[in-house]
Amino acid sequence: MSTYNDKGRLKTMTAILEVNDLKKTYMMGSVPVHALRGISFHVEAGEFLSVLGPSGSGKSTLLNMIGALDRPTSGSLAIRGTEVGTLNDNKLAELRQQVGFVFQFFNLINRLDALGNVELPLAISGVPRKERRIKAEQMLEKVGLGDRFHHKPSELSGGERQRVAVARALVTDPSFLLMDEPTGNLDSKTAAEIMDLVQVVNQDLGMTVIVVTHDPNVGNRAQRSIHLLDGQISSDEVVQ
Amino acid sequence: MKVRDTLSYSFSAIRLRKLRSGLTTLGIVIGIAAIVSLLSFTAGFQVSITNQLERGFATDTLIVMPGNLFQMPGATSSNDFSLYLNDTNTIRGVDGVEIATPVMSKLGSVQSGNMSLDLSIRGINYTEYEAIYSTTFAADMGAIPSNPANDSVVIGHSIYDPWNNGTLFAEVGDTLTLNYTYRDNGVTHQNSINATVVAVLGEIGGTSLGGGPSDTGIYITTDAATTLFGSSDVSSIVVKLVSDDKSLIDTVSTNIETLFNNDVTAISSTSILSIVDTMLGTVGLLLGGIAAISLLVAGVGIMNIMIVSLMERTREIGILKALGAKNRAVLGVFLSEALLIGLLGGAFGIGAGMLIANVIAGALAGGHFGMASSSGFSSNAGNLFGTITPILTPSLMFWAMFYGVFVSVLFGLYPAWRASKLDPVDALRAE
Repeated sequence: MSTYNDKGRLKTMTAILEVNDLKKTYMMGSVPVHALRGISFHVEAGEFLSVLGPSGSGKSTLLNMIGALDRPTSGSLAIRGTEVGTLNDNKLAELRQQVGFVFQFFNLINRLDALGNVELPLAISGVPRKERRIKAEQMLEKVGLGDRFHHKPSELSGGERQRVAVARALVTDPSFLLMDEPTGNLDSKTAAEIMDLVQVVNQDLGMTVIVVTHDPNVGNRAQRSIHLLDGQISSDEVVQ
Repeated sequence: MKVRDTLSYSFSAIRLRKLRSGLTTLGIVIGIAAIVSLLSFTAGFQVSITNQLERGFATDTLIVMPGNLFQMPGATSSNDFSLYLNDTNTIRGVDGVEIATPVMSKLGSVQSGNMSLDLSIRGINYTEYEAIYSTTFAADMGAIPSNPANDSVVIGHSIYDPWNNGTLFAEVGDTLTLNYTYRDNGVTHQNSINATVVAVLGEIGGTSLGGGPSDTGIYITTDAATTLFGSSDVSSIVVKLVSDDKSLIDTVSTNIETLFNNDVTAISSTSILSIVDTMLGTVGLLLGGIAAISLLVAGVGIMNIMIVSLMERTREIGILKALGAKNRAVLGVFLSEALLIGLLGGAFGIGAGMLIANVIAGALAGGHFGMASSSGFSSNAGNLFGTITPILTPSLMFWAMFYGVFVSVLFGLYPAWRASKLDPVDALRAE
């Protein structure tokens, strides 16, 4: 499937994420809880998608599944054609190296400095020391932290920490950026700055972005919004 | 994750909790130090004993003693068997024997003026004894007579100057009174003889573990001893062989024992050494075993701390997994923390152990720790330990290090395995 983008160039539309009739059921004691009741959607390369919904709507469950942290109960979820449900723990971990996670609470390693945190996913995937140092420095400069290489998370502001987290997510050159309430812990001004950065990443780098949030301001930044309600998609629409 | 990256990541975790890591490591340090100090000290003790035996006990000599020296307790034996002076002649007749000389030894007292010493008095044949112990039974003052008068006495260096302070007990030419007290049929007898000091031996040092001359020895002729002790039984017969060939030593030992219906024991330096080796080996094993248990306790400490650490760092484990770390990478991170603690503990433990062993050796030697003995006699024990130098062999170092690391990693295995099995979703949700 191909289409023309706004600049008139031919853009190849590749399915980054394919979700078909995805179901997830948890057992709370002996009572089954249906967190996702059959969800289907596709995400193409370069898209900026927001997933919105009230708490309890199944947002987090979907996020864990998209991030290859968890397996579906039934249905299918494929990241760049790789089916998540059939993978063992090790393969699932490898697949996660293709996902750029950004969390609400930053989830940085406090004892490592900004560079160390950005280098960590590269170290995990076995990139040599010199190479990952260069990549991490470049990425920190891109997110505007060229002068914060050796600051520990405790020495950085909330906005700066989230920038480090974004740099860490992008440094492995992932298939998509997966953000979980990325502005939930920031004031509105800083939140806007972070979302500006995300938009730049999406538009200039062509990075696919999936944001899971309940903040309409964040949702409005996306080109497309999926609303979840009670484990089902209530709407899937193009925002602008 | 590469090994080097895993190690440096783990090291950063250890460094963050300095006090806790330090105390955990201390457990290993104590365990390893105990093992190293006890084993290196035992090894040093063994060498020291061996040296002393070899000094006092020429390799081509046998000591024949009545009874079975190394008999199991409770075994039947003829306890009243004695060797007499004329048994020496019988032994002289055995093939391979060059010299056989009797040593009569009883506990008595020696008087010089108004000073008195309680010690063991020995009756010997000067010429034969000198022939066997030519290096140690040598006069420093006076001369050992080849044809001694009955009232001759040769004294060890510690009898000459017992307090090491210049207050002499006896000199060449002095007359000593030797007393021997014994009970017979409920009556106490005291025999006394007077003897003139003809020679003072040079300082020998150490103790006479092999029955050779000692600094605290006082030597009279066998005739004088027969008179003093009122009997001609000998405590041992020293035998010099024609060679120090091992098979000759064994043959002659067996022949002599057979000659006396196995009522005597012929002890050679080699047989004593092997017995001492076995005994010290057992002692070393026991001490090492006790120390090893202390290391196991340290291991339990490591497991405890690592489980606490695991609970604190659940979220961190979740982050690592979300960033693509496989189970074995998480396992590696926690195991290498245990490994680093083991290595650190091992290195410091070996150093501390060596220090402790040297301090103990120093304390036993007397000198430095105010345990210096006040007289030349009680310093015998000091002399015995004074020559101990703890021995730290590369193999002891290796095994101490190996055991430290092994225990750390072994006890780190379960917490590390639990960490690696954490579900990333649950781990990320942790506070």
